[in-house]
Amino acid sequence: MTTATARTGVDARKILSENGALGGLVVLVVALSILAPTFLSTQNLINVGVQAAVVAVLAFGSTFVIVSGGIDLSVGSVAALSAMVGAWSSAEAGLPGPVALLLGLATGVAAGLINGAMVSFGRLPAFIATLAMLSIARGLTLVVSQGTPLATPDVVTFLGSNLVPQVPLPLLIMLVFFGITGFVLSRTYAGRSMYAIGGNEEAARLSGIDVRRQKLVIYALSGLFAAVAGMLLAGRLASAGPQAAVGYELDAIAAVVIGGASLSGGVGRAFGTLVGALVLAVLRNGLNQLQVSPFWQQVVIGVVIALAVLLDTLRRRSR
Amino acid sequence: MNLTRRAALAALSVTTLALTAACGSGASSSGGGADISVGLALSTLNNPYFVELKQGAEEAAAELGVKLTVVDAQNDATNQVNQVQTFTTQGVKAIIINPVDSKQAGPAAKAAENASIPLIAVDRTVDDGKVASEVTSDNVQGGSLAAIELGRATSGGVVHLQGIPGASATRDRGFGFEQGLNSGAIKVVASQPADFDRAKGLDVTTNLLQSNPDLKGVFADNDEMALGAIKALGDRAGKDVHVVGFDGTPDGIKAVEDGTMAATIAQQPKVLGRQAVEQAVKAAKGETVQQVVSVEVKVVTKKNVAEFKK
Amino acid sequence: MAELLRAEGITKRFTGALALDGVDFAVNSGEVHVLLGENGAGKSTLVKVLAGVYRPDSGSVRVADGVNLAVIYQELTLVPELSVAENLFLGRPPRRFGVVDRARMLRDAVGLLARVGLRVDPATPVKELGIAQQQMVEIARALDLNAGVLVLDEPTAVLTDTETDRLLEIMAEIRDQGVGLVFITHHLDEIRRIADRVTVLRDGRSVGVLPAGSSVEQMIELMVGRAISEQYPRRSQEPGDVLLKVDSLTRDGRFTDVSFEVRAGEVVGIAGLVGAGRTEVVRAAFGVDHYDSGHVEVAGRRLPGGDVRAAMRAGLGLVPEDRKGQGLVLTSSVGENLGLVTLRSATRAGIVDRKRQRRHADEMATALRVKTSGLDQEVRELSGGNQQKVVIGKWLLADPRVLVLDEPTRGVDVGAKVEIYELINRMTAAGRAVLLVSSDLPEVIGMSDRIVVMAHGRVAGELPARGTTQDEVMALAVQEFSA
Repeated sequence: MTTATARTGVDARKILSENGALGGLVVLVVALSILAPTFLSTQNLINVGVQAAVVAVLAFGSTFVIVSGGIDLSVGSVAALSAMVGAWSSAEAGLPGPVALLLGLATGVAAGLINGAMVSFGRLPAFIATLAMLSIARGLTLVVSQGTPLATPDVVTFLGSNLVPQVPLPLLIMLVFFGITGFVLSRTYAGRSMYAIGGNEEAARLSGIDVRRQKLVIYALSGLFAAVAGMLLAGRLASAGPQAAVGYELDAIAAVVIGGASLSGGVGRAFGTLVGALVLAVLRNGLNQLQVSPFWQQVVIGVVIALAVLLDTLRRRSR
Repeated sequence: MNLTRRAALAALSVTTLALTAACGSGASSSGGGADISVGLALSTLNNPYFVELKQGAEEAAAELGVKLTVVDAQNDATNQVNQVQTFTTQGVKAIIINPVDSKQAGPAAKAAENASIPLIAVDRTVDDGKVASEVTSDNVQGGSLAAIELGRATSGGVVHLQGIPGASATRDRGFGFEQGLNSGAIKVVASQPADFDRAKGLDVTTNLLQSNPDLKGVFADNDEMALGAIKALGDRAGKDVHVVGFDGTPDGIKAVEDGTMAATIAQQPKVLGRQAVEQAVKAAKGETVQQVVSVEVKVVTKKNVAEFKK
Repeated sequence: MAELLRAEGITKRFTGALALDGVDFAVNSGEVHVLLGENGAGKSTLVKVLAGVYRPDSGSVRVADGVNLAVIYQELTLVPELSVAENLFLGRPPRRFGVVDRARMLRDAVGLLARVGLRVDPATPVKELGIAQQQMVEIARALDLNAGVLVLDEPTAVLTDTETDRLLEIMAEIRDQGVGLVFITHHLDEIRRIADRVTVLRDGRSVGVLPAGSSVEQMIELMVGRAISEQYPRRSQEPGDVLLKVDSLTRDGRFTDVSFEVRAGEVVGIAGLVGAGRTEVVRAAFGVDHYDSGHVEVAGRRLPGGDVRAAMRAGLGLVPEDRKGQGLVLTSSVGENLGLVTLRSATRAGIVDRKRQRRHADEMATALRVKTSGLDQEVRELSGGNQQKVVIGKWLLADPRVLVLDEPTRGVDVGAKVEIYELINRMTAAGRAVLLVSSDLPEVIGMSDRIVVMAHGRVAGELPARGTTQDEVMALAVQEFSA
């Protein structure tokens, strides 16, 4: 987080005023530092980063979709399927690890392209198309795995481990994908089209943007990011599970929305999404450390999501 | 319009094909005269444990020459009631139910009773309803055995990784675990949910290690979470922190063999499935059935792990 | 004539900006009091203060006893799925024994609709009505709520000429019933026809109250703060080669056998009644909608049908009729919107040259005198005229050979209108061409070189703009074709 601030060279007050969720994150960190003495240690903060990584990468992919006015409910299932295809290719089909990894990533892209085709050429509402994919991808995961977890190839396991002691690779990958997301959104044709399509699809079309093709790109990117997240998740466990990442799509959407994006499209930023994913991870970490009753944890998480978004809405309205 | 209709037809035919394929793999029919048909309503197939249970049931059905139809409720209790009701109209002679939740299986039992079809509960009991036979392994006893085993392996502070809050396995295993605690010198310093999920087991253990760095042991309500905990512990697993899981899945057994897991409480899902089918066939033929079939839970440690490898 | 409402010394400030500065305003029974001013002059704010939506920072609003105030906003507040009668009595339907008395509701509705001269079946769903009829339903509802003061916020902006005539008649009738009307419009001829008093606002201040019968020049001068010499400053020149050729374009059921040409340096106007197929033709020519036969050529090259990007590459541009629905990305900034059309050409290997985009946007915003706090301001915060300049600006940046402007000055104030006309002049002077679709007859006649008149999806005739009267254009526009 600090690295990002330093890199963009914008002063802290401006970032805080532009991003309501960051204020929420700061409040949360301060509160937990006071309540849980072990919270504010370097090691624990690194842990939070690692724990945020999978949801963050999923959420970066979802940011593209949400900014363009769509929704992708399939990312959790696609993450599991991609990881499972990777693990199966190596463990059962005996392919070399890197090939297996690429096959897994290709699976994610393919699922995304199918989503994109259903939305742009099939004219299906994104909610329905990706809901179908949620079910299809989860089912295929079970078919491929026959219901049992499979060991991941070494290259995937490496992705989930430490590069050197104290420097976990998932954390680095999350930051790299944060950079990629920011770059795509602000600097590329695809990214700028996402804002135009999400803000006003008809105006984008009349301005010469090939909306249907861009939607293919958008959902393919979401699928690719889901596949990367799936690899990270499996890598951390050295195992791809058939029930991995169930419900993660909702965490991803929550992260994007906490980060200030609008579900009606046209608004959203990579930095906001990163903050959103960190809010969720900090919260879960803190709740464990405070040993809050399991029954109350879900209540607290829901309340914090609502508060974070409310804070952002109020800030916008007062402007 | 025309195009839409054609697309819809195509989609429909694909769906039909998929359904046919799914049915083909779901139901294993016997070679001989399959005049007896048995329905098996599983809580989920999203878990290797239940996949094994299904395999055991299918093997028994093949040997006994009965037709077995398997359905999966995807952990949705309402769904399961519907599936059991469907069975009653399909002319099955006995229904085996693996309840999603013991406390919510009453309506399913009622449906079977109304149709005068004998009902056999497997793995979990039906709290409120009439069953011909209960084939279970004792989760409470398993929890106690886990506590005893953990007390043998280590002493000091341990954490308890709980399953999905409110699920019956979480309740029973947790209850048994607490009862077994007095036998050793271990003390629970934290109990947190990790939803039976390996990734969450990893994250929650990592977080608990922050506030409890001198942890001595972990008990997880299933092997998946235990394996996550082992990942979180890294080199410490099996050396100064001892982990006990539950279920005896292949990955769990392998961890015991490798020494990273001190023990797991093996249920024998295949035996559960087999016994359930045997009881179901007896009931279908009108023979006397055993009201309670207790399938042994076994403590798997490095000493006896060879017996459990498949 | 009793005074129904009086506002004195109204001052309203929004985060530093002074929106209203000591404005006095009064409405009498039985008068039409026009509120005139450029976009951003404070008309909407004043209406919202009168309606009690905003609380003024200082000053007071006094309403006579028993007088209700109703506002008909531009965005109508009817429920499209419900019937006319249900909308009229929304939230307060006549009941009998606790059940909605449908028969009585329909009976009451007929009487109410007669007051505004609307003859439709009250059981018709509102979505099946035209926009003008929907306005009448809103007015009828306001009258039934005993509105003593009725505020109409630019009601004629979305109406055709005949519809406008009808509305003005109804307004006169309502006035004669003793209601006080506040009327906001940019059409000065309408003001001359109906106003009893005109209050002119400029930069949040009331700069004068004009009596009925004031001249158009007087009104413009007060409103803009300077005299505008010409309302339609068209400077024609010798036309060059044919840049756009539309040949026998036909879309079944929409338009038939439409042919015309636009030459370099020319402004060709397309006139016609609403529903004559003007917008449909230019959308098809630009590749937004498909067509069944005929073809379109730009500078001698034939365009494939239904391909916006091909039309753009050939040098065609379209500023659509519906500014907010099709022209602007409201969630994005002024700069982003200005760069939208040139996004593709500013991209190398997938990466946009944002510095160049920004520089060009900045130059364009300055050249068009877009009133904005900067390129990063959200475009939704701009006034209508400035928003339209942004839509035109994004096309000017792509430097199209032929720019199609569909109703470019609808809802745009006088000052900005003239600026848009100057842009048209500059384009044609540079050898480009403009196709101007407009329902505003004086505008089509004043700014075009030639006028193509459409009726019932066909070209009814072509007229030179110079010396043509509105009546001549209308005569063609209402022409009937024997099928």
